[in-house]
Amino acid sequence: MEQFFNDNMYVIDLGEINSAPEIIFELSAVLDKEEARNKRICLKLGDVSLNQAQLLSIKSLINGIDSTLSSMETKSFDTEKVALSLGLIVSNVSNENTTEAQPAMPYKLAEEIKEEIKEETKEEEVIVEEEPIENSVESVIKDKEEQEIKEEIEPNKEESNGEIKSEPETTVQDELDVIFNSSYAQNTFLEIESTQREAEQKEELTDIIVPESEYTKEDIELEGFPTKYIKQTIRSGQVINYEGNVVIIGDCHPGCEITAFGDITVWGVLSGIAHAGAGGNQKARVRALKMNAIQLRIANCYSRRPDSLNSVYAEKTNSFTPEEARIINGEIVVFKIND
Amino acid sequence: MTGRVIVITSGKGGVGKTTTSANIGSALAKNGHSVVLIDTDIGLRNLDLLLGLENRIVYTLVDVVEERCKLKQALVKDKKNPNLCLLAAAQTRDKSSVNAEQLKKITDKLKKDYDFILVDCPAGIEQGFQTAIAGASEAIVVTTPEMSAVRDADRIIGLLEAAEGIESYKLLINRVRPNMIKSNDMMSVEDVENILSCQKIGVIPEDSGIITSTNKGEPIVNNEKSLAGKAYINVARRINGEDVPFLDIDRPKDIVGKIKKFLSGLKKQGKEQ
Repeated sequence: MEQFFNDNMYVIDLGEINSAPEIIFELSAVLDKEEARNKRICLKLGDVSLNQAQLLSIKSLINGIDSTLSSMETKSFDTEKVALSLGLIVSNVSNENTTEAQPAMPYKLAEEIKEEIKEETKEEEVIVEEEPIENSVESVIKDKEEQEIKEEIEPNKEESNGEIKSEPETTVQDELDVIFNSSYAQNTFLEIESTQREAEQKEELTDIIVPESEYTKEDIELEGFPTKYIKQTIRSGQVINYEGNVVIIGDCHPGCEITAFGDITVWGVLSGIAHAGAGGNQKARVRALKMNAIQLRIANCYSRRPDSLNSVYAEKTNSFTPEEARIINGEIVVFKIND
Repeated sequence: MTGRVIVITSGKGGVGKTTTSANIGSALAKNGHSVVLIDTDIGLRNLDLLLGLENRIVYTLVDVVEERCKLKQALVKDKKNPNLCLLAAAQTRDKSSVNAEQLKKITDKLKKDYDFILVDCPAGIEQGFQTAIAGASEAIVVTTPEMSAVRDADRIIGLLEAAEGIESYKLLINRVRPNMIKSNDMMSVEDVENILSCQKIGVIPEDSGIITSTNKGEPIVNNEKSLAGKAYINVARRINGEDVPFLDIDRPKDIVGKIKKFLSGLKKQGKEQ
């Protein structure tokens, strides 16, 4: 892993890492450094193929430190496609220009890939007619991508100066909002009412993300679970074990353990161990106003807090960025839900 | 291969049992020995924090005893040193969840595969202590040069002598402040040795770096500049049978102190002559 500086560019080379969790881990270690802040970041990846959710979480990681992901290099065709669909500037590493960030990709390639994606989406449109919501997400992304490619064509002169135009403000937020139906953003976070609302939203969310055809027995079970409300600070050594959903109004200190068959929602800082879906439910989620958990377990997946974060005790702040963890492709992914 | 099982105990709390365990363990592992650290302070575990392994613990000592996992699964490898393993205590249970026989079984099993098994004992002389010393054949008694700690250490040595399995015990004097000894505000190392009539295996100077290293989750033996780190490395070498002279812990940091020490040395010589 190497980093290069180039004025306001910050190049992160992760070309030798071959798995998505490791990439996210290494990246978060690099992004902890002060010099990565307020930069336009050029990410170099190797053969690893990332899916849309993984790329989105990488992007939100970068946005979290006030930087923007301005361009990417990858050897994997899949990653390239996904990145293009998210409106990122991608260049293929095959032309071996590794030390200099390549701001714009060859124009033809973009056109080709665009056409390919178009074809694919057409095919999907034919097949997946029962998934109207998924489709709308795709079409939104497609529209954006078309816009951006147009924009790429026009400012060709500027690019010839060697300067890289920072990408337009179609950030992760928009995309996340599309995914989460933006209802989280409108949430006023007020008193106990909001928890009820949250429960409603949860239903909405599952509706949106899981198409009805994929609505399994597990989901129905999850909604049928009883929910336990706990209004206290959970301290070290305390255990909460419940065969249902758990909602905690208060902080969960390091050293505590929360195990639930359904979802775990913490209205405060989550710093202990949280195990959602302990009965094996892969759709269970963990969400908290501040996610600082030492370990997250969902069903039979396990992830731990990066070592690069020094203190297990979260800084007391008045502003929170709620986060949610769920399983995507057998790995636990934490999403930021920005307001 | 038969490993040595060493229990690190003190009676009094807060004298540095856990710090000593983590540092001696790391130092032994650095010298190429395979080491397992067992935290028996169930319910108040800290050893994982000192090693910075908190986020890696999935199974604990209690899980092994209650046969929810295999012994090998519960051993957490250290971040830096693959020779060093940790068997963590459960945070959500209490001392009654493991008894002496069960711990002895575990140490006997580990003996076959590892050179050293260090058992970090909880404070007190109750069940937790009796459990911790069960599998051990050697003991290190940690004390500080304070009346209360020395009194408790004396009590512990009495219990260790009465215990069946313990063949030898050594004294480790922690948090020694040469300046205070000079001004007669603190018992000297020799005083402590005389009171307890027990052979010492190490003298560790007070070091503010210990606090930093605890907070960072990295044993101080990894910091080559630290005097306390050096002292711990020496203790590890002594455990291994080497004859290492004791560190001169009264080492002035500034030039004025060095000159003073030199002059006082001359004075002493003059008096003797």
